[in-house]
Amino acid sequence: MALPLRYNVRNVLVRWRTTAFTVLGIAAVVTVFVLLRGMARGIERSSGNTGDPRNILVVRKGSQAESGSLVTRDQFRTLQYFEEIARNEKNEPVISAELVMIVSAPRRGAAGEANTLLRGVTPRGMELRPQVTLKEGRWFTPGKREVVVAQRLASRFAGFELGGTIKAGPDRLTVVGHFDAAGSAFDSEAWMDADECRSIFDRDMYSSILLRPRDEAALTNLVARIQADKRLSLRAEREVDYYAKQTMTAMPIKILAGILGVAMSIGAVFAAMNTMYASVAARTREVGTLRVLGFSRFAIVLSFLIEGTFLAMLGGLLGSLLAWSVYAVVLLRGINFGTMDFQSFAETVFQFRVTPDLMLLGVLFSAAIGFVGSLLPALRAAQLPVISALKSL
Amino acid sequence: MGFITDYIQLQKAKLAHERAFLHLLRWFSPLVWLDYLLRLIVRRFGLSYLTFIGISALRNQRRALLTIISVAVSCALLVTLLTLQRELTVPPESEAASLRIIARNKVSLAQPLPAKQLPIIEKIPGVVAVSPFTFFGGNFREETVTSFAQFAVDPVRFKDLIVEGHIAEGTYEAFIKDRTSCFVGADTMKRYGLKIGDKMRFTGTFYPVDLDLKIAAVFQGTVDDRGVFFHHKLLDELMGDPGTVGTWYLRVASAGVANDVIARVNKAFENSSAEVRAETERAFQMGFISMLGNVKLLIGSISAVVVFTLVLVTVSTMSMAIRERFRELAVLKALGFRRTELFSFILAESFGLAALGALVGIGGAWAFWTFMDLQKMTNGFLIYFEVTPRIMATGAVVAALLGIVSAIAPSLAVARTSVVEGLKTLD
Repeated sequence: MALPLRYNVRNVLVRWRTTAFTVLGIAAVVTVFVLLRGMARGIERSSGNTGDPRNILVVRKGSQAESGSLVTRDQFRTLQYFEEIARNEKNEPVISAELVMIVSAPRRGAAGEANTLLRGVTPRGMELRPQVTLKEGRWFTPGKREVVVAQRLASRFAGFELGGTIKAGPDRLTVVGHFDAAGSAFDSEAWMDADECRSIFDRDMYSSILLRPRDEAALTNLVARIQADKRLSLRAEREVDYYAKQTMTAMPIKILAGILGVAMSIGAVFAAMNTMYASVAARTREVGTLRVLGFSRFAIVLSFLIEGTFLAMLGGLLGSLLAWSVYAVVLLRGINFGTMDFQSFAETVFQFRVTPDLMLLGVLFSAAIGFVGSLLPALRAAQLPVISALKSL
Repeated sequence: MGFITDYIQLQKAKLAHERAFLHLLRWFSPLVWLDYLLRLIVRRFGLSYLTFIGISALRNQRRALLTIISVAVSCALLVTLLTLQRELTVPPESEAASLRIIARNKVSLAQPLPAKQLPIIEKIPGVVAVSPFTFFGGNFREETVTSFAQFAVDPVRFKDLIVEGHIAEGTYEAFIKDRTSCFVGADTMKRYGLKIGDKMRFTGTFYPVDLDLKIAAVFQGTVDDRGVFFHHKLLDELMGDPGTVGTWYLRVASAGVANDVIARVNKAFENSSAEVRAETERAFQMGFISMLGNVKLLIGSISAVVVFTLVLVTVSTMSMAIRERFRELAVLKALGFRRTELFSFILAESFGLAALGALVGIGGAWAFWTFMDLQKMTNGFLIYFEVTPRIMATGAVVAALLGIVSAIAPSLAVARTSVVEGLKTLD
């Protein structure tokens, strides 16, 4: 027969002074773990949810990021007339040759500069990215030195507010609007007119080409055709696949979360073990009494395991809630985080996300800590000889 | 749950000699040795305060061990985090680096500079040497991410810039002569098992060209022995002579004039089509750190949480240890020991345990990071990861404070309890 759960719960609560420290310690471990995982999740989300599966992005063979790619005008001209490309109502091919530049800008409120991505975009390119919507101000006028920046990016850089200016070479670009890209990678970009962009940076070539094939069959066909064409030396892939690969940026944080999770949980396991050993030692007589009453050794082991796991899960719950409240504060105050994307060398803006499944993961993590930590003390409790246990003070 | 009952059955059936064997096993624990040593000392010289504290601390071996390990793990983690922070925020510094200046396009590093700026820079007073310095950013062989950089330089001009490098006599001349050759850092040579005369093939990622370079010379003894340097002429040829360079690399006569030279270089190209931002090599490297964003804050706050957890764990263990001995302490009180003496017992015990944990943890972290081949393990992401004495001292100070802080609560409890109450406790 198993011991009632209430016995364990009340035991944990009645010895709250001893257990509080352990619970808090485990809570701290879980908070760090959940927050870091949430950060990695945020970065992955920002690039993972970018693009349209119907679009194809073309970059130079061998280049890892758009910003490091070069596409010549000849290549663009050749590509433009491929019959697989869809056409709009005006019978123009739905293809956009774009320029992606890296511009360094001063950070808001802090010392130092960071790189930002400036995209020279065409009307077709904007149609191909419907997730980008204007929030404030207006779109840029073609042929003018105007720029529209992502709202999230604007919160991290000085001079990115409406009416502010961005220095690009000898010229200054005026910020005329803010856009929102629904948490996609474009939330880390600033957009301007493609031709104007090429003229101020004195660039003859484009960086990348975004296009929409007629249908799924045309898409497969086109990708194969571009890959096979030695003359073009370009690489074509689905826009979503291209951005999915960029999630590499989240790797360092994921690794950090893993290492810290393991190292801190070792410490937490020992803390839980200590608490449970002390709890067993203080209850020697109680355990003896239970055995005399007829509870089996197995019931005792189970009882202490449950108690240790419950104790740790209290910490896990607390930690998850703590992580969530940090997230809530960040969300309410609209704070954006940024880190360097190692592929484009430009800042990626992201928002960390603490979702219910991450919180559940945190609680499970703490349960594992509690289980491992209480295994040995529980076995010890079951091994206590009944008579001497009863005699002990 | 079957295995648990099995285990218990096994324990039941355990024979006497098995128990004796377990008893022998105990002698593998260093804590047991320490305990034995203390008892020997007591037998020879009698009980002193120190030996009394030592024996008390080690009486519950399991708890002492768990405390020491948890403090050790946390200390090791703290030291590792501080080292990581240092690695990311303080790039390697050498004396010669303060003499070197990097001039890049003001727009961003990705924007090239016109090659025709060279004669103007050369004439600026204070400039001793200048060479084009273009980051190629290629991938070596079939790698998708290559962790060492390749730079196109002017071989003759560059010779005056690398005062601190060590290149074998005569080999640099071979590099100058052959325009398809390169010189390579010793670490890279070792990592890929290369030797002089071997070919290195790079696929361009920023430049739409591939390189085929022959190794002519090896350098070593700089702060970073990983780079590959090749002729800028070769890059120009492959690119169809665009008349641009990535950055300019300058050396100034003395550290004192560096700031003047920077100001003059910046001024020389003001309002031109390619404005320049010159900065010292160190400031340039710090710029990359700034781009990493909130990483510093992130690691800082994680360290704070680690320390906080450390405090919680130790405080709870100490209060458990003292609670176990409440009656004993009451007896000591009854025998006439004063509060201050009892406090010093507790303090010395917790301090000692924390110190042992710190010794194991910090020492372990130091040994681990010093003797591991990190560069290989992290694919060149972490190079030095030097656990400096300063970081170790920080860890030790945290552990010492920890020992003191965790003694406070139990001491207060002991001080507050009267002898009679203490003797009556059953917990």
